[in-house]
Order: sequence, then C-alpha cells, then structure tokens
Amino acid sequence: MVDVYHPKTLEEALQFRSSTGAVPFSGGTDIMVRYRTSHGVLPDLPWPIVLLGHLKELQYLRLRKGSLCIGAETTLTDVMDHELTPPLLKQAIGLMAAPALRNLGTLAGNIGNASPAGDAVCALIALDASIELASPRGRRVVSLDLFIVGPGRTILAEDELITEIIVPIGEGHISWYKKVGTRRANALSKLSVSADWAVDDNVLTHVRIALGAVAPVVLRCRDIEDDMTGMKLPEIALQREDLMNRYKCSITPIDDQRSSAAYRKQAASNLVGAVLDEMTGGR
Amino acid sequence: MKERISSPVRRVDAYEKAGGYARYIADIPFDHLLYGKLVRTSIQRGRITGIALPDLPEGYRFISEGDIPPGGVNQINMITSDWPVFTTGEVRFCGQTIGLLVGPDRQVLHELHKAVAVTYDIEEGSSTIEEGLACRGGAFVGEDNIYVEHRLKKGDPDAAFSQADRIIEDVIETGFQEHVYMEPQGITVEYSNGQLVFHASCQCPFYIRKAVAPSVAMNLEDIIVHQVTTGGAFGGKEHFPDIIASALAVAAVAIQQPIQVVFERREDISYTPKRHPSQIIFRTALDRNNRIIAMDVDARINAGAYQSCSAVVLQRTMFSANSVYDLPNVSIRGRAVATNTVPSDAFRGFGAPQGIFAAEMHMSHVARLVGEEESEFKRRCFLKQGGRTVTNGTIHEQVLLEQMWQDISLESGYYEKLKSNPSGSFRGIGVSYYLHGGGFTGNGEQALIDSHVRLKGMKDGRVELLLSTVEMGQGLATTYRKIVASALGIDISRTIFLDPSTNRVPDSGPTVASRSIMVVGRLLQRAALQLKTCWDGTREETVEIGYEHPPWVEWNQETLQGDAYPAYSWGICVTEVEVDRASFEVETKGVWTIHEVGRAIDEQIVHGQVNGGVIQALGYASLEKLELKEGRFYQNTLADYMIPTSLDFPPVYSKLVENPYEYGPFGAKGLGELVFDGAAASFAAAVQHAIGRPVGRIPVTPEYIMELMSDE
Ligand SMILES: Cc1cc2nc3c(=O)[nH]c(=O)nc-3n(C[C@H](O)[C@H](O)[C@H](O)COP(=O)(O)OP(=O)(O)OC[C@H]3O[C@@H](n4cnc5c(N)ncnc54)[C@H](O)[C@@H]3O)c2cc1C
Repeated sequence: MVDVYHPKTLEEALQFRSSTGAVPFSGGTDIMVRYRTSHGVLPDLPWPIVLLGHLKELQYLRLRKGSLCIGAETTLTDVMDHELTPPLLKQAIGLMAAPALRNLGTLAGNIGNASPAGDAVCALIALDASIELASPRGRRVVSLDLFIVGPGRTILAEDELITEIIVPIGEGHISWYKKVGTRRANALSKLSVSADWAVDDNVLTHVRIALGAVAPVVLRCRDIEDDMTGMKLPEIALQREDLMNRYKCSITPIDDQRSSAAYRKQAASNLVGAVLDEMTGGR
Repeated sequence: MKERISSPVRRVDAYEKAGGYARYIADIPFDHLLYGKLVRTSIQRGRITGIALPDLPEGYRFISEGDIPPGGVNQINMITSDWPVFTTGEVRFCGQTIGLLVGPDRQVLHELHKAVAVTYDIEEGSSTIEEGLACRGGAFVGEDNIYVEHRLKKGDPDAAFSQADRIIEDVIETGFQEHVYMEPQGITVEYSNGQLVFHASCQCPFYIRKAVAPSVAMNLEDIIVHQVTTGGAFGGKEHFPDIIASALAVAAVAIQQPIQVVFERREDISYTPKRHPSQIIFRTALDRNNRIIAMDVDARINAGAYQSCSAVVLQRTMFSANSVYDLPNVSIRGRAVATNTVPSDAFRGFGAPQGIFAAEMHMSHVARLVGEEESEFKRRCFLKQGGRTVTNGTIHEQVLLEQMWQDISLESGYYEKLKSNPSGSFRGIGVSYYLHGGGFTGNGEQALIDSHVRLKGMKDGRVELLLSTVEMGQGLATTYRKIVASALGIDISRTIFLDPSTNRVPDSGPTVASRSIMVVGRLLQRAALQLKTCWDGTREETVEIGYEHPPWVEWNQETLQGDAYPAYSWGICVTEVEVDRASFEVETKGVWTIHEVGRAIDEQIVHGQVNGGVIQALGYASLEKLELKEGRFYQNTLADYMIPTSLDFPPVYSKLVENPYEYGPFGAKGLGELVFDGAAASFAAAVQHAIGRPVGRIPVTPEYIMELMSDE
C-alpha cells in the first residue's frame, strides 16, 4: 500500500511533493503499466504518488511571446487536436499508442519518463522546446534537450514538477517525421527521426535533427547541425553520404526485444538520408 | 422458398458477446472462492535443491507433490504421460509447475509468491533445434533428444537422384508463435461429495477429465468438466488446460473448497505453449528440362521439454511437406526434437503451416533458380483427382486449383503486377497454394476418438444438441444449430446448444483438427435426419449416433501409408507488398484469397474465419518475433510481442468456390486451419520478389530484410 495525494491546486501539489517526496503521476500510462502485478492485486508502487492529471490549471495551449506554451497536464489528444500545435508534434503524437491511451497520457509524462524512445520528446527536441519546472522555491526554464540525461534519468529536483512545455514558433520552418514502430499502430518505436529546418535563398539557416531510440537519450548531433547551418542546399546534397555516415557514427544503439543495434544504425542513417533528400529536393 | 444453407444468419452469440454480457471464467462468482497461483521453475534446466516457503498465514496452503492423494500419480495423462503435475527434482524448462499457492486474498498470495525461494543446481540447456539435436548439456530424452522419428517414401527417390541433372539444396525455417487468444487461460474447480467439478476455458472438456484422473486416483465419472464461454483458443486450449487442471485437482481434493487459477497476460505469454518452430531441409533433383524428378525432405520441429502432441504435429508437417504438389519420387524424414523450452503444442494448422511454408518457399526458390515464373512452375506439379500424396494415398475429390487460379490471378492482377514490378523493384507480388486435410490424421477419428452426438427432441417442439465440441469464438454454436435446423426443416430458434458438460453430453471429441463441421457436423446431420423419422415435435425422443469412417479410406497407422485424410480443402493466397527503401518496412498493398471448403455452412462465418486466419498468418509471417533468452521468452508482453492491428494489413479479398463433399454435412469440409496455412508463404514470396533475394525464414522483419539486402 502506498499513499496517494490528490491535490486541488498546483500549489498544494508542490507542497505534497516537497514534504513527502511523492512521485508525480499524470496519466499513469507509464507508471501503472510498469508496476502492474496481476488480477485483483494492487500495483507494486515503491513510493507515494501525487496525482496531477486532473489539475485544470495545467491544461492549456496558448501563445506567449512567439512561443506556444502547453500546460504540462494537457492530454496528448488535446495537444494533437489543437490548431496551434506544430505539424511535427501532431504527427509524432498521432503515431503514439492508441486513442484511449492518448486521452490519458500527457506531455509531462512522456518527458518525465525520460525514455530514449519517447516519441513526443523526440519531436519536441527537434522543435527546440524548453520546459518550465516549478517548486516551492520558484520556477526555472531549461532546454528539454538538457533535461533528460539518461534512460529514466532527468535533472528534475526532488521538490520539482514539470509545469509547462514551451515550443518556439518557427515561422516558415519545414519539418519531417518518421517513426519506425514495431507495427503500424499502438506500437513503440524501434527508432524515430524528427527534423525541423529553415531555408533562406537556397541556404540552410536552421536545422535540428533528433533521433529517437538509437542512444541512451533522444539524440541531437549539435556539431553536425552547426556544420550544416549556413551551407547551400546543393552542397548538402553533395555531402549526403558523408553526413549520413557522421550520423551513423554518432549513434550508439542497443540490441533489445524490439530490434537490433545493427538495424537501428542502418535505418537511422538511411532516414537521415531521406531527411537530406527532402531538404535538398534530391533523389 | 428454401433457403440456401450458406446464406448467413445472425450469430447466436453475437448479442451477448458484442454487448459484453457473456460471462467468462473470471466473471463467474463462487462462494468461498480461493485463488491459486502457480510457483514455477525459474531456470531452463537443472535440479531443484531446495524450496524455502515463507510462513503461511492461516487459510493459505502450498500444494505440491506431497499432496497427491494415495493411489494418485505425479503424471498428467495426455497423449503420453511424461509431463509431471509438480516438478520435484529435474527441471526441464523455465516455467514448470513446482506447486500451487492457494488462499483467499490475492494480495496476500502475491506477497507470499514473491517470498518463495527455490534453489537449483543449474545445468546447460538447449533452446534451438540445432542445440537439441546436438544434445547440448547432454540428452534428456533417450540418447538423442528425439521424441519420434518417421520416414516416408514415394516412388524411388534414390534412383531418381542418381539420374539428376542438377540438385538444389535449401533450408527453410519458421519461428515460435504465441496464440494470443483474447482471454488468457483460466479454470475454477470445485470439490464436493467426492466429485471434482471443473469450469474451464477450454477446447476439449473430455481431455481434461482424462488428464487429471490418474493424479487424484478418481473415476472418470466423478470428474465433471463444464466448458464455460471461451474467449478464443486457436489450439492453445487443447492441452494446456490439462496442466492447470491437474494441479488444481490435487489442490481441490486436499482443500475441499472452490479454487480459481486465471493467468495474467504476461504469465500466459511466458509459460504457455507455442507453435513448434521448424527447420526443413530440402534437396531437390531436376532433370535437364528443369522438371523436378525427386525431392528429399528433412523436417525437424522444436517440440520443447515434454512431448505433449508433438508426434502428431510432426506427422502433419511431414504430410504437408509437398504442399499441393504431386512429385514422382519423394523421401521425407521427420523428427520431433526435445529442447529445454516450454513444450510446443497445438496451434491452428497443427504442423501443416510449417510444412506448407517450407514447401511453397522451396518451390519458389527452385523456380527462381531455373528462371521460370513461380506460378507456372508450381502449377505444372499440382495434385489432381486420382493423384498420389506423400503417404501414397489417393486424392479422391475433384481438385479445382487450376480454375481457382484463373479466377484469383485475374482478380489480383497477378500477371500485370508481375510485369510492371520486376524483381528487385521494391514492389512485389507473391502467391501460395495450399491444402488442409480435414479431421484427425489417418484412422484417428475411428481408433482414438470414435465420436458420438445426441439429439433430444422435446415436447415443446424444440431440439437440444448434446455434444462436446465447443463454441470458442469460431461460430460453432451457430453452424451446429443451423445444420440441425436445416436437416429437420425447423427454425433455428427451435434448437438449443449449451456449453457442454462431460456429465450431460456424449463425447464427440475435441474441438480441433478442422473436424468440428466436417466430422461432427456430419454426425449432427445424420442424427437430425434420423430424428425426423421418429419425432413429431410433441413428445420426447432421443437419437444418438456414432462415427462411421468413409468406406473407401485406407490407412495403416504403423507404416503411415494410405489416405492420411479422407478429404482436403484447398486455397490460394496472393499478396502484394511494397518495401521501404530506407527502413525496410513492408507495406502490404493487397491480399486476395480463394478457398474451396466443400460448401460453406454459413458464408459470413466462413469469411470471418478467412479474415482472421489470413491476418493471423500474416502476423506470423512478418511481425510475431518471439526469441528465447536463457530459456525465457524475450517478448513476453503485448507491447513487445506484436500481433497485427487493423492498420497493419488491408482488407482481405475472400472468395469461395463450391465442391460439395459427400461425407460432410451439406457438403462441407474443413476450414478453420486451411485459412491459416498459406498466407505466410505468399507474403514471403512477395517480399522476395520485391527485394530480388530469396527469403528463407519467417518472421520476415525489417531487420531480416536489411540482412538480406546487405549480402551483396
Ligand atoms: C500501450 C502503450 C503504448 C504506448 N505507446 C507509446 C508510444 O507510441 N510512444 C511513446 O512515446 N510512449 C508510448 N507509451 C508510453 C506512455 O504512454 C507515454 O510516455 C505517455 O506520454 C506518458 O504520460 P503519462 O501522463 O501517462 O505519464 P505517467 O505514467 O503519469 O508518468 C510517467 C513518468 O513521468 C513522470 N511525470 C509525470 N508527470 C510529471 C510532472 N508533471 N512533472 C515531472 N514528472 C512527471 C512520472 O513520475 C513518471 O516517471 C505507451 C504506453 C502504453 C501503455
């Protein structure tokens, strides 16, 4: 048996968390599955939990200073269906799980779970998203890319909660998404690729390529992105094989029950090739 | 106006099942119910050196070998009796029953279960066919780890091989497959007044009765098995309920209170039987015109740690190893190999899908190697009426394959698509031809089963069907009632079919082997025709009849020679795919099927079986990867073991042709397994065409395609 806290407000939630060490519980679609036992038996939760999924004050999408701000407890369905949501994020969420699960699951949960196969995380990192963390001590904003540090590991402090996801609106950006799942629907990622870029006068002015499930965390290769930024598109097309290879060498996938390291390496590099083709109008 | 028997009626169970009113075993309440949780081995092979139990609170018991009542034996009475109810010393696989923890509160049981500590001497075990044959860790069955070996010979293969112009060798492999019946395994047992009463989600109520009797030293009459609404089975509830029921029987006799065991999904995937993996090696001799003059087949199936029904599965694999082809000279060797894995068992097709897949892929490999178009090459070898099977039996019926091919090749656009998508174009189309013999192999229906059915005409004009073959989702309650109503000329609403109990119904045999309509349905039809002559609907009258073998069927069970099956059902499947150049994912563009099942008793139910069987086979062919890691299944949840969703494959085109069978009810033959047998090969052949490289195993995952593509 564990203690379950049901706060009425975010403030109360923060108090519970800081005073009891309760673990945040949003949709529960990760937590309840991980700690499930069997029929008629409670889940084997190792710690007290604080329920957050019902907090209306953390369920919203609104524009603020050129960014889309999403309340951390907004369900995946509500994020996906909203007109302000960038196409890349819509696409990624649209291929997550199935409708029933998307009606419960949240962005906070996908981020807090810190899986390298987190699909919304992969899209959000390509979109340069940051997150707001709140605690009784105050609030801070960190880049999502730096928040997750390993499988299941984040820099979330003992008394903090994720309260908001901040996605800059990239005017005129182009995006590309591909999830290679274990099947076509209701499937976890073997790997995924999210890309977001901008072109001005045939020159690549901005690029983010995030690779999911091919390293301990969702991976961005900043050095390669930096090298590509400012390059003319035909030049990128010429360097296609080379860039694919650099990505291939940067990732460190594993063999697991869903796929093999060899496949992840090859397919990720091929998909980077597909991104470059889309970017440069090649092939 | 007389209705055609094939015209669909509303399924008799549609309302209660679609509406959620049907009660499955976990929904049925019992007073003073206790729960049971199996304590299992956690190593692949070795010996148990100690079992340390936590202190059991009052009302909790640990039932194990010592609780077997006087006169009882620690054996489950299946086809053989090698599988013990409770493991004592020897551990042959991970997941074997050691004992059963029983008590009133599942939360407490869960905690107790976690606290049981078993210690072992660990030995090296075997997982694959190769490891089994190599006796890794030492043989544990006989001297060679072979449960059974059979050989078949047709013509004079040795002479033909010596004259061969060219010999082609090939190895074809298939993997494990999990049943994923919607409802996991579950049984509740009661014990009172010296009687054991089981309520089971199962396919074969009489098997359970027979299986448990020796372990509790009871008479068959004192053991009653009620089948309850069963949420799918696919073969997985043919023998495995015997394993649970045996442990429950011992517990119920010891505790004398109702006890329920219902598996959780992860437990079900981890510890219940799977389809036999296979490895089939071909050597095929060609003459100088590239005609096949002889084929040598070496079929091995991974039977797992206890024999269960592997001997019979092996026979089906061997009998299917030439698919629909009549080759002049053939030798087939078959071996069921013991390994330290969960015993493999019945699964829709019962060995035939492995044989058919191998034969179809091998034939297509040979066609590619000699530069001929696959369908042309295969069609030249089709079995025909009067043709000879690999057991030197005769095909008695007219074979409509050629006519079916004309139809389905047009419908699917096979030849145009072949032309517009050359081999290696990442788009491909493939075809498979297949057959399935209805009923038990050989003389099994006569010698092993001898089924009986009873019809009870009542005073109020209704008729009750009494038999032991079960409704498990496949539509049998509807088709049985339809057969009886049609034969009697009454409305289907005047027939009654209740889930069977062994104390109320005669033994019409197990619900397996595509026999339920062809064999048992025929008995019902005969019984109804007899009842019609002696019952006027105003008084009680009972008719019981038994099985009669078609007189022209000849079979020798010792030599496995003759007509292995009295009649076959036939099918063709065409599959079109596109392979993604970057991710090697396969998108299935179209699936076209045509089947000959004699006559459909209900077209809607038949099309339902086609859809389900074909999609299940496509899952087997592409998604359902199940690997072993240190003797445990690696993909043990439905998040990792991938069965198809409705988005994975397009709708299946399904057409039927009629060819009524004299000894089937209204001309019907077997159906349920046929529709699983062929789709895997057509899918693999399509991928093979798309990537321009031979495919030798399933599942054809993107990982495997990548491997094939990098073999430049
Ligand atoms: C069948 C199935 C399919 C799935 N398919 C996918 C898929 O395709 N792609 C995918 O990415 N995921 C998938 N998932 C995983 C899961 O559904 C998602 O990760 C989902 O976004 C989790 O959200 P949640 O609100 O349910 O998280 P929860 O289970 O509530 O929490 C998950 C983690 O985040 C932490 N957390 C939750 N809220 C906060 C907060 N406000 N602040 C700090 N930490 C917090 C929790 O402590 C926990 O560690 C699937 C799960 C299942 C069961």
